[in-house]
Amino acid sequence: MPSHPAIRFALPAALLLLAGLVLASLGMGDMNLSPARTLAGVLRQDELAATVIWNMRLPRLLVAMFIGAALASSGLVMQAYFRNSLASPGLLGVSAGGTAGAVAIIGAGLTAHSLLFLPVASIAGALVATALVIALARRGAGTERLLLAGIALNAMLGAVSSYVLSNATLTYERNAQILFWLLGGLEDRTWEHVKMAAPIAAAAALLWPLGRQMDLLSLGADEAQSLGVDVRRLRRRLLALSTVLTALATAVAGSVGFVGLVVPHLLRLLAGPEHRRLVPLSLIGGAAFVVACDLVGREAGGLRIGIVTAFVGGPFFLWLLRKKT
Amino acid sequence: MTGALDITNATVPGRLSGVTLRLDAGTMAGLIGPNGSGKSTLLQVASGLLPASGEVRWAGLPLPRIPVLERGRRAAWVPQEARFEFGFTVRSVVAQGRYAHGDDGHGVDEALARLDLTALADRPVNHLSGGERQRVLLARAIATGAPLQLWDEPLAALDPRHALEILLLGNKHTRAGGTLLFSLHDLRMACILDIVVVLHQGRLRAAGIPSEVLTPDLLLEVFGVRAEITPSLSFALPSPSS
Repeated sequence: MPSHPAIRFALPAALLLLAGLVLASLGMGDMNLSPARTLAGVLRQDELAATVIWNMRLPRLLVAMFIGAALASSGLVMQAYFRNSLASPGLLGVSAGGTAGAVAIIGAGLTAHSLLFLPVASIAGALVATALVIALARRGAGTERLLLAGIALNAMLGAVSSYVLSNATLTYERNAQILFWLLGGLEDRTWEHVKMAAPIAAAAALLWPLGRQMDLLSLGADEAQSLGVDVRRLRRRLLALSTVLTALATAVAGSVGFVGLVVPHLLRLLAGPEHRRLVPLSLIGGAAFVVACDLVGREAGGLRIGIVTAFVGGPFFLWLLRKKT
Repeated sequence: MTGALDITNATVPGRLSGVTLRLDAGTMAGLIGPNGSGKSTLLQVASGLLPASGEVRWAGLPLPRIPVLERGRRAAWVPQEARFEFGFTVRSVVAQGRYAHGDDGHGVDEALARLDLTALADRPVNHLSGGERQRVLLARAIATGAPLQLWDEPLAALDPRHALEILLLGNKHTRAGGTLLFSLHDLRMACILDIVVVLHQGRLRAAGIPSEVLTPDLLLEVFGVRAEITPSLSFALPSPSS
């Protein structure tokens, strides 16, 4: 298959970009470290640098990479599933489902026992949202129907979160906890959060071999079925994976918008529509995008990640919408 | 004796009732009937995409006994309308026809050439015209190498020349022992096929040799038109030398 040189170099280029961003993310901050000192810190040869990196910057970086990879690949899957390049976890309300689940569990006070309740509740909430969006939009749905279903779901699930928050029986402390969690972000992420996000790697590994079948599915379910793809099985897997990916990202860092929309789109423009390439690229590119946005937010004096991605992604989405109609 | 395609008493509530049809290998069959008579439904049932009561067999094997991947090697289905959201190249869409063969790329160039798509091979499919998209789907179906071909109105979006070429393609496929069932609206074209299958309100009204099936009485009853044989415009491909 003939491929454009730009396509062949997309993966190495993305890896290089990510490596550069990783170095910058570990080096930059209140205490700026040179690349050499950053490396020394990572290798624990420089005690002060090692403390800063291993206790603060590395867990934050890892969480950023995990959620970026998760949200971007989740968006890619939803776009192939719905055959609509505007589908994404945020717009369809899957993120809001994860948020509602998490908020409910914090409100119930269960996170005081174990943080692990958070991802479990988030997955449950996101699954409910996915089921609803499927019921509302049907597959291969037109942009209008899909986005309207997303608006309705976002509003409904947002109301669930508001209800828990406004429930007068909650203590002030718990409310503060919920509010803080709702803001999301990568501040003060610890190795505990990294552990919570780690299953994202497993989900990504399960997604990896499905790229070819996603190609066929993205051109029509019946067509894919007649060409030999077990569409029902594929769809179940894709939905489960994209939902879990989004839910885990939400559980760890709150709702971070537009990553699942922007990253797959940019990658498709750069590297073409073939999912065998797009799956690995969206994992790497998503990680790079969130790390970059986090860097920008940190340098801008501590903007939360969700604010930066919204400022980047919002205009991009409007531009896409204009281009499509 | 088994047919290439055997449909027994296929029923889809509200759309198809009790259709029994058998096509032998080497048959080029046209499926005609007014709008809403069940042509697309029958093709979907025949291709195993739409569950129906009754039974469908390919070359004697009941469909449930054929694994999904194997079905991709035995039959190809072409939808009525081609909608592409993503900018895959024409070549890569046609190459999808080889999915069930482990993406070996076999016969892709030939399929492109047969459908006059070689010059468009590197163009993104979402920027093509309706007729061009239709040809891409047909090329993909041919590339599968599947003996049983089921096409839903393949000629609808095509200009006269390409429509004629599709008919010749179908002819070549069936002369080589393959089987083709496709729906069409042009009754004059139906006259030149081996077999014509007439659906009316979800029921099989008639099936057989066109000259025997397409009687004025039947056309009046099914289509509500009065048929008349008159000298009319006819097309042929120019010989290669001219």
